[in-house]
Amino acid sequence: MNGNAVLDVRDLKVSFSVRRAGRKYQVRAVDGVSLSLAEGEVLGIVGESGCGKTTVGRSIVGLVRPDSGTISFKGTDMTGASLRDMRLNIRMVFQDPYASLNPRRTIGDSVAEAGDINGFFTSRAGRSAAIAATLTAVGLDPSFAARYPYELSGGQRQRAGIARTILPSPSIVIADEPVSALDVSVQAQVLNLMMDLREQLRLSMLFISHDLGVIGQISNRVAVMYMGRIVEQAATRTVLDDPRHPYTRSLVAAIPKPDPSKRILGAIETGEPPSLFKRPRGCAYAPRCPIASDRCQVDVPELRSAGTDGRAIACHNV
Amino acid sequence: MLSVRDLTVSLGPETAPVDIVAGVSFELGKGEILGLVGESGCGKSMTSLAVMGLLPQPGPRIRAGRVLLEGCDVTQLQPWQRVVAGHGRMAMIFQEPMTSLNPVRRIGDQIAEAVRVHDRLSGPPAIDRARELLEQVRMPDPAMQLSAYPHQLSGGQRQRVMIAIALACRPQVLIADEPTTALDVTIQVQVLGLLRELCNRLDMAMLFITHDMGVIAQLADRVSVMYAGRIVETAGVEALFGRPRHHYTRGLMDCMPSRNSGARRLPTIAGQPPAPGTVGAGCVFASRCAAVRETCRTAAPPRAEVSQGHDVLCAFPLDGGEPR
Repeated sequence: MNGNAVLDVRDLKVSFSVRRAGRKYQVRAVDGVSLSLAEGEVLGIVGESGCGKTTVGRSIVGLVRPDSGTISFKGTDMTGASLRDMRLNIRMVFQDPYASLNPRRTIGDSVAEAGDINGFFTSRAGRSAAIAATLTAVGLDPSFAARYPYELSGGQRQRAGIARTILPSPSIVIADEPVSALDVSVQAQVLNLMMDLREQLRLSMLFISHDLGVIGQISNRVAVMYMGRIVEQAATRTVLDDPRHPYTRSLVAAIPKPDPSKRILGAIETGEPPSLFKRPRGCAYAPRCPIASDRCQVDVPELRSAGTDGRAIACHNV
Repeated sequence: MLSVRDLTVSLGPETAPVDIVAGVSFELGKGEILGLVGESGCGKSMTSLAVMGLLPQPGPRIRAGRVLLEGCDVTQLQPWQRVVAGHGRMAMIFQEPMTSLNPVRRIGDQIAEAVRVHDRLSGPPAIDRARELLEQVRMPDPAMQLSAYPHQLSGGQRQRVMIAIALACRPQVLIADEPTTALDVTIQVQVLGLLRELCNRLDMAMLFITHDMGVIAQLADRVSVMYAGRIVETAGVEALFGRPRHHYTRGLMDCMPSRNSGARRLPTIAGQPPAPGTVGAGCVFASRCAAVRETCRTAAPPRAEVSQGHDVLCAFPLDGGEPR
């Protein structure tokens, strides 16, 4: 375990039971994920739909109960700890700012909610001052406190969502696709805000996204997930400039690049992920992998350290 | 092949119309992919629906302008009237295939339905043609998939089915409205590759609508950038990305994270697009433009051809230096 980690997750496993055609299936969404987050660090988790990245985030804040594994905050195991204490320290920013704010409460009430529940405020004036200060910190005018979500644009709502997250001065923010629902010009504004807040408030952040461009902008380190497992983890530049795992390679190659010299000239067939109901026996990427060998069909590769730059890879053949 | 001239789509009463698409013009040649790029609410989807004759009723209407398919004005024809009149060779695919497919019908029947309308086939020949269309879109195991229901397919496969249905009319023009936005990137790149291949092989023209500058750069031959209901810049893809002339185009490119790897802050475009109906006499981008001058606020900017095939709606285009 990392000595100065504020958050340490060991061997997290989460499964859901799903009913299909009258039968009950256990679907393993997260299959043994370990990660740690140092103070002030941003760890990006990237992967495609269904890879388990959101479930990892939701397990850490206690919205999903893991089957096994430990989650420790500053060295203390939080499994079974009081959710109330934990949620002031570890807070979440959600993807859809339309769905995550109560439409019938003012922005101010939503932002102050964690403070209200935990008795932060001793006077009405103190509460208003705290709301105003928090709104200002996220670049909203304090007058927004009296408005309702429908009066705000998407970018303003996401700022309000971030204000609600930082009001109790958390140590860790789990941001689950916080800019995916926003237009590019607004996306840049919100990303800049998150980078500023991280510095000013010395936040540690787990930044979950399907977009490697966004992850590359904000993260120090990146973990790439596929079918519930981390397949490659390293410093952001290392992953983007020199991906080694065959899945990471295809992911990096598939990012749309604003460069007409990289034009798509014809059909590209690289297959699709297998169904979570029919997980392959060996490596989950083997059916799509250009370098799969016999061993990959039967033996699941473990994440192992590779090289001196802190890189870890789960692959038999690189 | 397809020529759109001064298309204006409006909402509200005849006496006080609000233009959500204002004087949009473009040409689309055989086998060519024209990318139409812009942010939410800029009117790109409304443009495509107006071209297809699919504007929701009641609601927005075409107030002015013409849509010419091979020289024939189809502006006022409903889709079925176009088919009857022999101008039915235009098809459209949408962002979310699940909402376009019937969840309780087998996909073979859904493709055959389009075959029946356009080829006047029925029974086994229609199903044969449906299988052939699935082969064209590179669906794995096409004969088997004919009997599948939409929920049994992945998102990428559903979009392939939508493309197969679109191909049933042997389209001269395919309109694709954000067809890969709901897909994962490794699936997106496969669907984009398929669309490029089909345009080449079938000599089909495509109007490709997206908000993603990266997708546009990798797929389109020419690009039109839309802002607040207007096309503000049109150019070949290399010219547009190599030397954007409109301040909005430049701003959009600058704020993409992938163009700024390693930068501590991303450049942004201040403010927000104007709400429809609040546009005044001047340039629509004036309130957000970093290089705005006094005349921009009062006079509509001219459309100027800055170089061969590259035109821009700006009085003071970038790199052009001096006001004209």
